[in-house]
Amino acid sequence: MSSVDAQIVALHAQIASCETQLQRLRDQLFEAESHRDISSGAATGQTPLSLVNVAPSSHPTETSEGFSHQEKGQKVAKIWPLDKHEYRRYGRQLIMSEIGLTGQLRLRSSAVLVVGVGGLGCPAAAYLAGAGVGTIGLIDGDTVEESNLHRQILHSTERVDMAKVDSAIASLKSLNPTVKYVPYHKRLTAEIALDIFDQYDVILDCTDTPASRYLISDSCVLLEKPLVSASALRTEGQLMVLNNPPLPAGNAQGGPCYRCVFPKPPPAASVVSCGDGGILGPVVGTMGVLQALETIKIITKGIQRSSEPPSLLLFSAFSNPPFRSIRLRTRKAKCSACSAQATVTREALESGSLDYVQFCGAVSPIDALAATERVSVVEYSRLYNSSDAAMNTQPSIKEHILVDVREKVQFELGNLEGSINIPYSAICRSSATASTDPLSQPPSEDGWVAQLRNLAEDRPIYVVCRLGNDSQLAVGKMKELGLDGGGTRWIGDIRDGLRAWRKRIDPDFPEY
Amino acid sequence: MASNRPPPGHFELLYFAAASDFAGRNTENIPAPIVATDLFGVLEQRYPGITEKVLSSCAVTVNLQYVDLEGEDAADKDLIIQEGDEVAIIPPVSSG
Repeated sequence: MSSVDAQIVALHAQIASCETQLQRLRDQLFEAESHRDISSGAATGQTPLSLVNVAPSSHPTETSEGFSHQEKGQKVAKIWPLDKHEYRRYGRQLIMSEIGLTGQLRLRSSAVLVVGVGGLGCPAAAYLAGAGVGTIGLIDGDTVEESNLHRQILHSTERVDMAKVDSAIASLKSLNPTVKYVPYHKRLTAEIALDIFDQYDVILDCTDTPASRYLISDSCVLLEKPLVSASALRTEGQLMVLNNPPLPAGNAQGGPCYRCVFPKPPPAASVVSCGDGGILGPVVGTMGVLQALETIKIITKGIQRSSEPPSLLLFSAFSNPPFRSIRLRTRKAKCSACSAQATVTREALESGSLDYVQFCGAVSPIDALAATERVSVVEYSRLYNSSDAAMNTQPSIKEHILVDVREKVQFELGNLEGSINIPYSAICRSSATASTDPLSQPPSEDGWVAQLRNLAEDRPIYVVCRLGNDSQLAVGKMKELGLDGGGTRWIGDIRDGLRAWRKRIDPDFPEY
Repeated sequence: MASNRPPPGHFELLYFAAASDFAGRNTENIPAPIVATDLFGVLEQRYPGITEKVLSSCAVTVNLQYVDLEGEDAADKDLIIQEGDEVAIIPPVSSG
């Protein structure tokens, strides 16, 4: 090591030590000032705090002024840093060395923003409110739906259709009325992000789209705020503490941002929501609870003083081991948000020139088929019912073939009589290579093609799915594979899928 | 996805989220050693289309360490995946 290198290392160490000392002094000052502010209001303010009456039974902090006179002003009761009820409410965490009085005071004076009040935001906000975070902001533009309730634990059956933010605050107030709750009844956009984030110390990303993840990360880098980011789908979850320590862009000592870890958004068509992919309540709940935990750790340790190396925690509930902690790299040297070469600037973000939706690719409704390749549920119902009346058994199979391309588990929840289940995932895999390299395909994946080929080739194939998107793509793949016999067999889909079937034809068909 | 030791001459590849959907499996053993930057090419041969649809946005880890393989000056561009390594393909999950 050269002498210059050694000097740099020594200086770093010296600065770190001074910063620690400085923070300690600030904490002491904070506590001393809070004592002075209160005792200066008392007539006998000079009484040394250590000499005052400290009898707990007569402790005065329950009075609104926070002090009282006893024995005609001869003694001033000691003013405790926390209110009496706070010692009781937070007692179980206060007695832990990781929190203690300093940690609790930091929690009380902190403001945390929860973006998204769903499966992640609900448990995260609940534990933060419980722990005594002073101010909690909640952003969400959605209303509560019945299908949210299995995982979004702050909402309730009576509050279906209520704004999620209001529903959450109702629960949180009942949990801890001493916290200040700030509602934002809107979806987060670039226009409002910086103004809102600026008022908070830590930001929690509990959202559900790639665009919001990049917007939130960029905003946190620009405003130098630590970001606790989590996500979950099906049985898996991810957790990262980003931009921590929250140093200015270009400072290599700062923590990596979302773009450092995932510089490219996933292709828009591949993005699966919880509504489409499914989500297990405790899986997303676990991730939300961990967000609260990481937030409490950041705040009680003192923002700016994080020394934990950055990591990505992977939770895979049905795997062994269920948790894996990935060591992340430091800030990327060419990161577009947090490096010295950053192109994400405050001006760019505020002016809207960073189009997050476009960056992540807008998902337009799939419109892959010609009108002649599609029928409505009403048209199909005539066919379905007429063959039903004529044939009695296996009706639709006799005259035409109905292929339901939902995944097997959904097919089993309810299906149209006589339909054949060929999951879209299997169709996708087969068609990708069937023509070029058939040997690489497991034999079972071609099974469905053979199955359809073996059915009388003149019978038309109707393809149906849940919403009418996969069915169109499935029709395309079937034609690619030559199942239409070069145009002799009609293959098409049922527009808007089984959702339309339930709405317009059979209201008893299960909704999920 | 029980983490078993891969057989001699192989490393273990773990697929998460969208990667496991595309591959239709959670784990598989792949011959080692290979240069880390060749990994996507090997997977593209096995699962045509996976690079564009999944891998291009994924994080890659080797033995629980995030590796940087993107671009000319990537920090880990010379990394060799060795026999017995645990490699993971981690797509960004955005829902919640």
